[in-house]
Amino acid sequence: MYLEIVSPEATLFSSEVDSVVVPGVKGEFEMLNNHAPIVSTLKEGTVRIKVHTQTHIVYDELHSDIEPHFEDQKVLTLNIKSGTVESKDNKVIVLAD
Amino acid sequence: MANLKEIRNRISSVSSTMQITSAMKMVSAAKLKKAQDAITAMRPYSNKLTELLQDLSATLDADSGSKYAEQRPINKVLLVAITSNRGLCGAFNSNIIKQVGHLMNDTYKGKSVSVLAIGKKANDAFSKSNLVVANESDVFDDLTFENVERVANAIMTMFEEGEYDRVDIVYNSFKNAATQIVMTEQFLPIKPIEGDANNNLDYIFEPSKLEIVETLIPKSLKTQLFKSVRDSFASEHGARMTAMHKATDNATELRDQLKLTYNKARQAAITNEILEIVGGAEALNS
Repeated sequence: MYLEIVSPEATLFSSEVDSVVVPGVKGEFEMLNNHAPIVSTLKEGTVRIKVHTQTHIVYDELHSDIEPHFEDQKVLTLNIKSGTVESKDNKVIVLAD
Repeated sequence: MANLKEIRNRISSVSSTMQITSAMKMVSAAKLKKAQDAITAMRPYSNKLTELLQDLSATLDADSGSKYAEQRPINKVLLVAITSNRGLCGAFNSNIIKQVGHLMNDTYKGKSVSVLAIGKKANDAFSKSNLVVANESDVFDDLTFENVERVANAIMTMFEEGEYDRVDIVYNSFKNAATQIVMTEQFLPIKPIEGDANNNLDYIFEPSKLEIVETLIPKSLKTQLFKSVRDSFASEHGARMTAMHKATDNATELRDQLKLTYNKARQAAITNEILEIVGGAEALNS
């Protein structure tokens, strides 16, 4: 599935990923391929992105707010204050602020 | 014929002015590029947000009961005037000030109108008549979403508490480096969002559709203000670049003219001297 994370100031992330975990207001949840269409508001927390194992991540090209997880380099994390997530047709958009 | 030294002084003063204006033009051109990139960077966010709101409100009842959509009889109006902190940018600031004056005297005639100034020039123009309720010029020192968000929150609270019945934003929208369009946008109460009814995907909503819309509306308002401020910022540099370009051109023309006068005066002086010598020699011979 395709994941796009945008903030009012920049596009933070845009790439094909395996899964993403977002901090929903009613609790954290994970979205995998072919997730049902969903719209949810997000609370303060961490977005965890699991990148394809074969994808080569160019760490230097990542936005400075996105950091690789300390245990697993294929997991990227981003701290957000609030936001909204929309998923449909295998495309996930996170509006982070 | 003007005296040579005088013309020489004028030439050097015009030349140094020209250096300053062309340097200012360069600086503005560099800043304009940055400001333009910033506008492009925020476009995906604002587009997605509008898209999402449209998707949601299509399936929502027309009157979602949002506190920001409340239409009240208009008595107290707040105009958010976005100008620049610095001058030397042509008609950029005076266009805004004129437009605000026009709104006060025509559109909102007889209503109590206040101004919230973003930019020192607007504050200077309206503080004399005690119309300015707040001066938020420092957002330009550090133009981030957080700073603009703070201003937007303040405006939204004032609207909610009934201090104002209508809020408009007046700003220069960025068309290209040479053209700015003065825009007056309704900020509050929000206009009903027109949804696209064809797009009826079966969404899961968390927590509920209404609550999502209610968190999205303030966000879209903040984004709207942020976009206006950013647009104005890019327009300012565009306007200054054009103004300084024209100033440099004018100075070049003036300098060329002065050089011509200087050379004419110099030649006239030489001719005079020769005449005197020849005249003297003639007198000796005869």
